[in-house]
Amino acid sequence: MAITDTSKPILAVGCRWNRENEEPMLLFPEGAIKVQGTGLAILELCDGQRTFPQILEELQRLYFGADPKRIRDDASRFLEQLHEKRIVDF
Amino acid sequence: MSNPLALIAEITHRCPLHCVYCSNPLELAAAASELKTEDWQRVFEQAARMGVLHLHLTGGEPLARADLEELVASARQARLYTNLITSGLGLSRERLARLVECGLDHIQLSFQDSDQTRADWIAGTKSHAHKLKLASWIREHRIAFTTNLVVHRQNLDHLEETLRFLETLRPDRIEIAHTQYYGWALKNRSFLMPTPSQLETALQVVAAAEQRLKGKIRIDSVLPDYHAKYPKACMGGWGRRLVLINPAGEALPCHAAGVIPGLVFENVRDRPLQSIWNDSPAFEKFRGESWMQEPCRTCERRTEDFAGCRCQAFLLTGDAAATDPVCSLAPSRGLIDQTLRESPSNVVSAAALASDWTYRPNPTRT
Repeated sequence: MAITDTSKPILAVGCRWNRENEEPMLLFPEGAIKVQGTGLAILELCDGQRTFPQILEELQRLYFGADPKRIRDDASRFLEQLHEKRIVDF
Repeated sequence: MSNPLALIAEITHRCPLHCVYCSNPLELAAAASELKTEDWQRVFEQAARMGVLHLHLTGGEPLARADLEELVASARQARLYTNLITSGLGLSRERLARLVECGLDHIQLSFQDSDQTRADWIAGTKSHAHKLKLASWIREHRIAFTTNLVVHRQNLDHLEETLRFLETLRPDRIEIAHTQYYGWALKNRSFLMPTPSQLETALQVVAAAEQRLKGKIRIDSVLPDYHAKYPKACMGGWGRRLVLINPAGEALPCHAAGVIPGLVFENVRDRPLQSIWNDSPAFEKFRGESWMQEPCRTCERRTEDFAGCRCQAFLLTGDAAATDPVCSLAPSRGLIDQTLRESPSNVVSAAALASDWTYRPNPTRT
């Protein structure tokens, strides 16, 4: 499913952080992924309150000077992939 | 060697169901031999310190333990991701709410079939109607919900219908598990082994469901290994990623390892889990590659599938170090081909089946 401007992404039910280790792990049924860098920045903004454009705005502030189109493409691809794996809902 | 990522805790072998493909050993642990609450709590702490991320509470039926809430709370306190694998039998709406409050992350509810009568004779008990109610209660909470369906010759013909039924329960995940032939399922193999045409249809049905449910429900399905070309990397390799603790406290590399003669399983009552994992002879036995035989020893797949399943090798060839006979390169592959050739293809009536197959009993209380 494609993410839209009204989407408010949030971690899916049954998906949560484990921050015991140096690199935060995202835990979900039968699996876990290490998240770092941009991925971590994106997911930390997915609180179910912010809309996708608001997330992009914050990312733009964080990665000052980066091409807005590239930020949008990367973030939507990332979130759509996690949506398919049922890790993120929107 | 790295530490395990998941702990499978068989907290009891008591179970109100009598499934003919149960993964428990034929020799079930009696209630009196079970670990106490504080033993499990200590083990959860130890596991979390070792870097274990996931805890799978299973059985038997884990709900048979009155201290399940306490166990879930301790697991969560130890920061383990806690999954309850259950038939749901006897789980009330109130107890479910308590388990969620204690920190349960994920519930995996087993189904036998979409149809009440058929489901009940596979399980050897009446359980289906209650599961339906339970599924709707589960969706009242913010926890992950998986429905698990074990498939075999007697229920594969209506897989599509069953999947459509499971969809209506709105799980996050549907797990389709082909019966694996150990313990009770091996005893009942001639009734359970699917036919090649059933498998072919099942592949198409699953592919269509995956497409239909994309982004809504994740489907996890694995081909049964008898029909595969190469063996599964059983448990991610012996003593590599998973540790199982049985009701009596013995630490095993997998559910079935007890069938292999000569292995002594150390008990978490006597030694910390980390030491058992590090150097107990049972875990060391099939680590690395020096125990492997040809063709595995020089096969380039050995680092992927670790020569397959040790228990299956023993159960079918009598030698636990042999190449898993399901491998097309195994000298003993003929055994599997023969089984497939000789497996009947009939789907039989409930009554006929009930008189012929072996239901798993409930272990004694003492």
